[in-house]
Amino acid sequence: MKKSDETFAKEARALFDESVDRLDAATLSALNRGRHRALEELHAPRPQWLRWVPATGVAVAVLVGVLTLQPEPIGVDELPVPIADIEILLGDESIEMLEDLEFYALIDQLEPDDDVG
Amino acid sequence: MNAGTAGFAVSWASDRSTGTRALQKEQQLNRFLAEVERRALRIAEIGVRDRDEALDLVQDAMIKLARKYADRSSDEWPPLFYRILQNGVRDWHRRQAVRNRVMAWFPRSSRDDETYDAVAAAPDPAGRSPDEQLANDEAMSSLELAVSALPARQREAFMLRTFEGLDVADTAAAMGCSQGSVKTHYSRAIHSLRATLEEHGPAGSGD
Repeated sequence: MKKSDETFAKEARALFDESVDRLDAATLSALNRGRHRALEELHAPRPQWLRWVPATGVAVAVLVGVLTLQPEPIGVDELPVPIADIEILLGDESIEMLEDLEFYALIDQLEPDDDVG
Repeated sequence: MNAGTAGFAVSWASDRSTGTRALQKEQQLNRFLAEVERRALRIAEIGVRDRDEALDLVQDAMIKLARKYADRSSDEWPPLFYRILQNGVRDWHRRQAVRNRVMAWFPRSSRDDETYDAVAAAPDPAGRSPDEQLANDEAMSSLELAVSALPARQREAFMLRTFEGLDVADTAAAMGCSQGSVKTHYSRAIHSLRATLEEHGPAGSGD
């Protein structure tokens, strides 16, 4: 008569349990060390960077929301600052010219045939 | 007692209560891990056929459980622990597959040809006659080989149900599948093992 599946499982369990009971001392010691290493995790401080995770998440969510909800991308023509000005600001020209902006603005307001001198 | 003293007393009592709870949780987790670690090691060892690798996997599982799930109810620990361990075993097999593909380009050393011998690796018997011990060693060795040859999901279902004694619900939680799947995998595992071990160990064809 064939053994039942239940009997088979019980016998397999008995063999397994015996092999567990016969683990050598070195292995048991290694397991013990591993367990204590794991329990040390309970006292380990939370990594500093993890404290910023919620704030960073909120910031990223807000940024994504703003970018996603923007109805139309800002066109080049709609830039508040003329491209020419940006080119000047980013250019390699002497900073001295930028310091005299008021002077150049005054010249710009004058008619071409005005006598400056 | 002025307000400052009262505030300090409440704070101290609260800290003390929190500390006591933390200590109880640590003791509880220690007991759980001590109870489960040896069987977990043997289960992992059957899964990867290497004791040192199994030790590493069990330690990793214990650390991850402590790090992530220590606050959970202790009833949840067994399926969580075995889920972590089974994931570790699966990852180990994936890494082995990749490593084997890479190492196929290099000549094999003689050490690679050594095969795992569960009987030779077993410790000396205690309180058992040599004949009995030898018979059990051979039966367990055959069982281990047969179990390790099962498809991964069947092996997991069989080991968690039979060796660890988890019920169907906890086994399903540990394996990340439905209870119906657990029953199917377990049933197929049993029938496959019985067919394989018909002439050996625990699954003798009949007494």
